[in-house]
Amino acid sequence: MSTEEIDPTKEVNRIYVESTIIMTTVRLVVPFVFAYGLFVMFHGADSAGGGFQGGVIVAASILLVGFAFGIDATRIWISELLTRMAIVTGGTIFVLIGIGSVLNGGAFLDYSAYGLDKTGIKYIIEIIELAIGAIVSGVLIGLFFTLAKGDMRSGEDEQKSAESGQDQEATS
Amino acid sequence: MLELIGTHYSYFAYVALVGIGLYAVIESSNLVKKLIGLNIFQVGIFLFFITGGYITGGVPPRVAEGGGPYVSPLPQVLILTAIVVGVSLTAVGLALIVRIYEEYGTLDEKVLSEAQINE
Amino acid sequence: MSETLALLVALPVLTALVPVVLGRIWQRAGWTVAFVGTVLHLALVVQLARAIRVEGTVSYAVGNFAPPIGIELVGDWISATLVGLVSIITLIVLIFERDRNDSSDAFYSELLLLTAGLSGIFVTGDLFNLYVFLEITGLATYALVATNPSPRAAVASLKYLLVGTIGASLYLLGVGYLYISTGTLNMADLSQQLAEVGYTSPLILTGFVLIMIGLGVKTALFPLHTWQPDAYTESSDSVTVHIAALVSTAAAYAIFRVTFAVFTPSFASAVPVALDALTIAALLSIILGSVFAIMQTNLKRMLAYSSVSQFGLVIVGVSVINETALVGSLVHLVGHAVMKAGLFIAIGGLSIVAGGYELEDMRGIAQRAPILSAGFAVLAFALVGVPPAVGFVGKWNIVLGAINSGDWIVAVVVVTSTLLTLAYFARVIERMYFNSPINIDQTAATDGGQARPSVPFQTRALVSILAFASVSFGLVAIQFIAAITPIVGGYLT
Repeated sequence: MSTEEIDPTKEVNRIYVESTIIMTTVRLVVPFVFAYGLFVMFHGADSAGGGFQGGVIVAASILLVGFAFGIDATRIWISELLTRMAIVTGGTIFVLIGIGSVLNGGAFLDYSAYGLDKTGIKYIIEIIELAIGAIVSGVLIGLFFTLAKGDMRSGEDEQKSAESGQDQEATS
Repeated sequence: MLELIGTHYSYFAYVALVGIGLYAVIESSNLVKKLIGLNIFQVGIFLFFITGGYITGGVPPRVAEGGGPYVSPLPQVLILTAIVVGVSLTAVGLALIVRIYEEYGTLDEKVLSEAQINE
Repeated sequence: MSETLALLVALPVLTALVPVVLGRIWQRAGWTVAFVGTVLHLALVVQLARAIRVEGTVSYAVGNFAPPIGIELVGDWISATLVGLVSIITLIVLIFERDRNDSSDAFYSELLLLTAGLSGIFVTGDLFNLYVFLEITGLATYALVATNPSPRAAVASLKYLLVGTIGASLYLLGVGYLYISTGTLNMADLSQQLAEVGYTSPLILTGFVLIMIGLGVKTALFPLHTWQPDAYTESSDSVTVHIAALVSTAAAYAIFRVTFAVFTPSFASAVPVALDALTIAALLSIILGSVFAIMQTNLKRMLAYSSVSQFGLVIVGVSVINETALVGSLVHLVGHAVMKAGLFIAIGGLSIVAGGYELEDMRGIAQRAPILSAGFAVLAFALVGVPPAVGFVGKWNIVLGAINSGDWIVAVVVVTSTLLTLAYFARVIERMYFNSPINIDQTAATDGGQARPSVPFQTRALVSILAFASVSFGLVAIQFIAAITPIVGGYLT
């Protein structure tokens, strides 16, 4: 998904222990957690659940992968473009459905303006929940990996300046 | 008095959480702990809302569920929105803290103010 | 069509998503998208104004769920003017910012998100919706303050985040207390339900106090103003222009709406202590804001404390519950936004020529930057309250209203504030015009023989336009007052 490479010769200031137990467990569990997140997203109209809760569970499943297999590797696998597209697609669908109902003669976000019966309205609500879920999971995953990348950058600076014998000063 | 605590224990918990959260924001010198205190403060407020919306023996607000007092869905939705807001604020706050650590090398508020005076 | 109310919020949100995608493909995408989006926003405001002229106050139910169950959006002349102010100031900021620095596309997305949040605060008719838009505005502001690459900006933004979130959470708690006592969140419905519950109930009083504290944090009234000087000083110039003109304005408008539309003036007669406390806080802001401003040497910091004082003026006009004073507050709200924006743009331009924001850097700068200095002087005198500028109209009405309702202390304090405002502006103008420049040779030498740094044409044009506007708004204020007096009268009966 991306052309960025991890340099294996660069020392990373982070202790990552490759534990077989964690890797195997995560490999087994993550697909089910992801599916459960989607399930929660779909069921927002009828029972407890909805876009935000489902989005957080989906994001949590990706973070599990990150903790098990290495945050850098997971960050490169989930490329930045994917998270951006998730946020933009979700947001656009939400606002377009709202504006679509205005164009059809109703109010903003007025589902009955589409002229569908009760099941049709339920499907529109579920599409909106999916859109919200996409936004939420995109934002959470993107933010987590951006913060992680920032943290690593300061670690590398410490290495470099320690090697060149200077004091650690504010870099900006 | 004891009977008051027995029936209204959620409200006492909400007051305790709000107090602990505010104290943590004001008193801790570590910036991350301030943010944690902010989160505890917000959780206390959510607890208040949910306790206010709780009905003993209530059923979900769907006609298929039958009779009985229907729980109003409004407090739940309010708190959901507020939780989303709280999560995004925590995320922005943490991004700022990471940046402050990169620039100044410290997360202690007293050291930070001295570093800013000496800049 | 009354859907413009909803589109006023939805459109900036939609356009905020575009720079995120297009920024990868096209370098200049962010600025163009933001500019086009803001022009469309302004067109929607004009549409709204036409609808209000025909129908009077416009109201709109989101999702076709009738209030009080659904969310209601309300537009009248006051909110239409203020939303128009949002569009115009955003356009001004975009023009001002164009050649100054290479802003990332995240900057433009955040600016558009801020526009959406501010429009939402002005048009909403539902208390919880106000909280959501208040937080959207806050989030966008924290992110915008942090776009300045200096490290102090991150600390200022974090401080603003902590204080602002506590304020907004207290507001939410107050809304919760009101909801639990009445069962509704709609502003118009609440005003009737609160009267039925009884204004002396401790639940209602606590709700009022918490809401006022929360909104007071966002308006930066004394003693809740501590985030403002750092946030204004450390953010980049274009961001300062935007947030100084609009963010506190929105929170002050929210205080006005909550006090008059939700807690009607009957609340003030039933529990006078509550509004007296607000008046005292506003009076302290006026005096101490000006005193702190006099003590500053950094010009941006001085203008930040000046904002504390000016918003104290606006809130004091709200809390004396008098029609003339309220009209004066609203005029001052609009006028202050225009004048502060002009002052900050002038300082942004002057700092390029002077090389800094300190008072001492401004010595004799009138010779090197005549248009900017003249614009700064005109705007400063407008803010002090020299007739016929708009600052005079607002203050005059507030003083008149205070005297009419017998609040002599308020009248005296407002007049004193004029003298204090003159004090801190006179120092700057004296340095600019009547002192000789001390470091003009140094700038020529350190620049390597380059001519003195030139201020972009837009900056000078914008300062002149805003200075002219601040004077001419005072002249057309009569029409504005005539338009809003019936609305204000409606609140006061």
